[in-house]
Amino acid sequence: MPGKTPRSNSNEPVENGVRNNKDVDMTDEKSSMKGKGKKSVKEGEDMTVVVPPSKSTKQSSQPPAADAEGDIAMDDTDKDQELEVKVDPVTQAITDIKSNFALLDRAVALFDSRFTLRALRSISSLRKRLTPEILSQVIAETFSPASASAAVAKQLLAAIGKGDVLLGRQSNSDMEIDSDSKTPKNGSKKENKDTIPEIDIFLAILIQVYLFDSKQFQSGAEFSKSLVDRIHTLNRRTLDSLSAKVYFYYELFCEQLAPLPPSPRSPIVAIRPTLLTALRTAVLRKDIDTQAAVIVLLLRNHLLTSHISQADLLVSHTQFPENAANTQVARFLYYLGRIRAIQLRYTEAHEHLTAATRKSPASNCALGFAQTATKLLLVVELLMGDIPERATFRASNMEQALRPYFLLVQAVRVGNLEDFETTIAEHADTFRRDGTYSLILRLRQNVIKTGIRMMSLSYSRISLRDICIRLHLGSEESAEYIVAKAIRDGVIEATLDREHGFMKSKEVGDVYATREPGEAFHDRIRACLGLHDESVKAMRFPMNQHRLELKNAQEAREREREMAKEIQDGDLDDDDLGGDFEGM
Amino acid sequence: MAERALQQIISQLKSHPNAPYNEASKLLSKAKIALLQLKVVTPSPSTPPSHLALATELYEAGALFSIRAKNAEAFTRYVSQLQPFYELADDAGSGSSSAEENRNKVTGLYLLLLLTQGRYAEFHSELEALSTRARGSEEIERDRYLGYPIKLERWLMEGSYDRVWKAMKSREVPSEEYGVFSEILTSQIRSEIASSSERAYPSLPISSTKSLLFLDSEGAVVDFARHRGWIIRDGQIFFPAAEGAEDGGDEKEISQMVIENALGYARELETIV
Repeated sequence: MPGKTPRSNSNEPVENGVRNNKDVDMTDEKSSMKGKGKKSVKEGEDMTVVVPPSKSTKQSSQPPAADAEGDIAMDDTDKDQELEVKVDPVTQAITDIKSNFALLDRAVALFDSRFTLRALRSISSLRKRLTPEILSQVIAETFSPASASAAVAKQLLAAIGKGDVLLGRQSNSDMEIDSDSKTPKNGSKKENKDTIPEIDIFLAILIQVYLFDSKQFQSGAEFSKSLVDRIHTLNRRTLDSLSAKVYFYYELFCEQLAPLPPSPRSPIVAIRPTLLTALRTAVLRKDIDTQAAVIVLLLRNHLLTSHISQADLLVSHTQFPENAANTQVARFLYYLGRIRAIQLRYTEAHEHLTAATRKSPASNCALGFAQTATKLLLVVELLMGDIPERATFRASNMEQALRPYFLLVQAVRVGNLEDFETTIAEHADTFRRDGTYSLILRLRQNVIKTGIRMMSLSYSRISLRDICIRLHLGSEESAEYIVAKAIRDGVIEATLDREHGFMKSKEVGDVYATREPGEAFHDRIRACLGLHDESVKAMRFPMNQHRLELKNAQEAREREREMAKEIQDGDLDDDDLGGDFEGM
Repeated sequence: MAERALQQIISQLKSHPNAPYNEASKLLSKAKIALLQLKVVTPSPSTPPSHLALATELYEAGALFSIRAKNAEAFTRYVSQLQPFYELADDAGSGSSSAEENRNKVTGLYLLLLLTQGRYAEFHSELEALSTRARGSEEIERDRYLGYPIKLERWLMEGSYDRVWKAMKSREVPSEEYGVFSEILTSQIRSEIASSSERAYPSLPISSTKSLLFLDSEGAVVDFARHRGWIIRDGQIFFPAAEGAEDGGDEKEISQMVIENALGYARELETIV
């Protein structure tokens, strides 16, 4: 680096005045980079500073060095092109993207997916700023034309319609100097360092995001397809969480393509084999991230085309990884709950959906998911004969969306068939859009049951004719059969008198004399214990810490042995010994 | 060649809907060979539409024949063979009204079959798939063939057995093939009613049980009662009390459970502290 600045100075003497100005900027940039480095990295403070080659022969410090170099070179470009702008959003975006490369490098070097996840998390903040220009610039600066991954980079560029951009461009004017200054440095290393696949996949994901946001679904799907093929050839554990993301966008693109999902000719049916292969590979490689993501995608895929039995088979034949990412677990539980609800297995559905709503992020970033899951949960609760809590409908971010369901719950709670029918008719479109319509139609029997229960609670004796009139049932015979069924199903405690045509309620027993409270208590305690276990499992400990402890223990043991020896030799008094032990 | 043979067989099958199953199945297997020659046993998007229509017709005819012969397994097989054809037809968006009618007939029969076999989960999965088909679900309910099993299911679920009974006896049955299920449905609702009566009534007079169970005579009631192990005394039916003796054992079980739980908590607490 020291050799570089004077040289470029000599090349463009005219712009010197501006340059000084900019140089300040540049150092600012640099120091901010440094700050970031400090935050994320403990030992690597010299990361952003250009390191002498002898030091950088080993792992992680190497690529960031190149990054810093790229940064500075990039500033030079800006200087040439946009003289006036001080903090350029484009520059900022590029810097942000590049700062993720350092994270990816660390992830590879330390084999810790946490850094990858952090890089992925930054996508949401980058998302709005992505343009083909920024992307192409980053790609051009990251890949050198000589490296093996140049072909990949070309593909990436083609995908955003910038196929003509040259690779390895540091800046327009500095080209020569760059290659000059590079050769002595890199020459001592074996070769031009290759960009790690993680970085190019990360860039590819950014391109996917960009294509999706700009609604270029067709080209996005094609790009994703080639990307998926490429991922399949790479076998790197550090790629796992990245490839999960790639599949996710692949599915999203396909969902948006021409014959939209309910149609069996939709492209999502065609990508099932790809996803299934991905799943198989992921399972074989113990690639938990991809496995979880692909299972969820396949479920979504099947449910979109209402292939419920296939989805059910998929669930029964695969095992969802236990320690998958929380978001994937939440999604999986939601889809599972949906399948179970359709299959009338309400208890299971309820369990899954409750877990899904609890696992969904508390912040507003996944409000849509929380709402959808809650809607389904409400319907399932109703189907189970429970009345959802009023508080659910009061939450400010839910109130609006849950309004139709609120009316529905009211109708069911009172047991009024007429209200129920009008609510359904009025909000049929909403329910259909939410995919809960057919489930809601099943609620009719629950309304009737609730009605009967209310009547059994309020009257000790009521004629079947009255029941029939109150509940708007067809005939007295119907009422009789319905009440008999309700008694058998344990909805009410009563007996029927056929000769006189009335229903006689039994005295309600003391609930506290039954095992019910004990069971409820037991359930709660079990939930608490489970929570404790899970939080213990979720705790993170610093790597290799235990070795230190082991060492300490070993030392202690040695000391002990020495002491024992000393005791044997009779050098120590009992008093001394006691004190020593306490000290330990 | 094969195509013409196929057409012949289909028209033959259609003109003799009451032909014995043996003969029909012979014709059907001949037709299936023809299908093989045409390579349309399983459809692909490139299959010519005329062949698709032929294959669909043949499978539908086969399904109807097997249901008439009360061969549920063969029927299910035909239905699953038809599935991909229907999906392709959905795609094309075409389909004459008669093809649509046949399709609904077979699907309705399949729904009814699932219903009588108590496979409710599959019934509802199928229903869900139906409702996502282009048309609204109200239209499905209004459809003569599809609406019937859907209504029956709803009534069975809420317990309006008399309506099920009436629907089966009246003109509402969409076609003769649906009649095959009447017998199964009748015995099904009868046992449902019987099991709910056991819990709901302390006793029942024989005369009114007759109408309750939709039986023809009092003799049949007595037979039925014996079959279920009910006690008949003075023209009244008494239901044997199923529980009552269990209480003591239950009590014991509860205390045991409480002890077990408490011990479990203690153990867990120990691991935590």
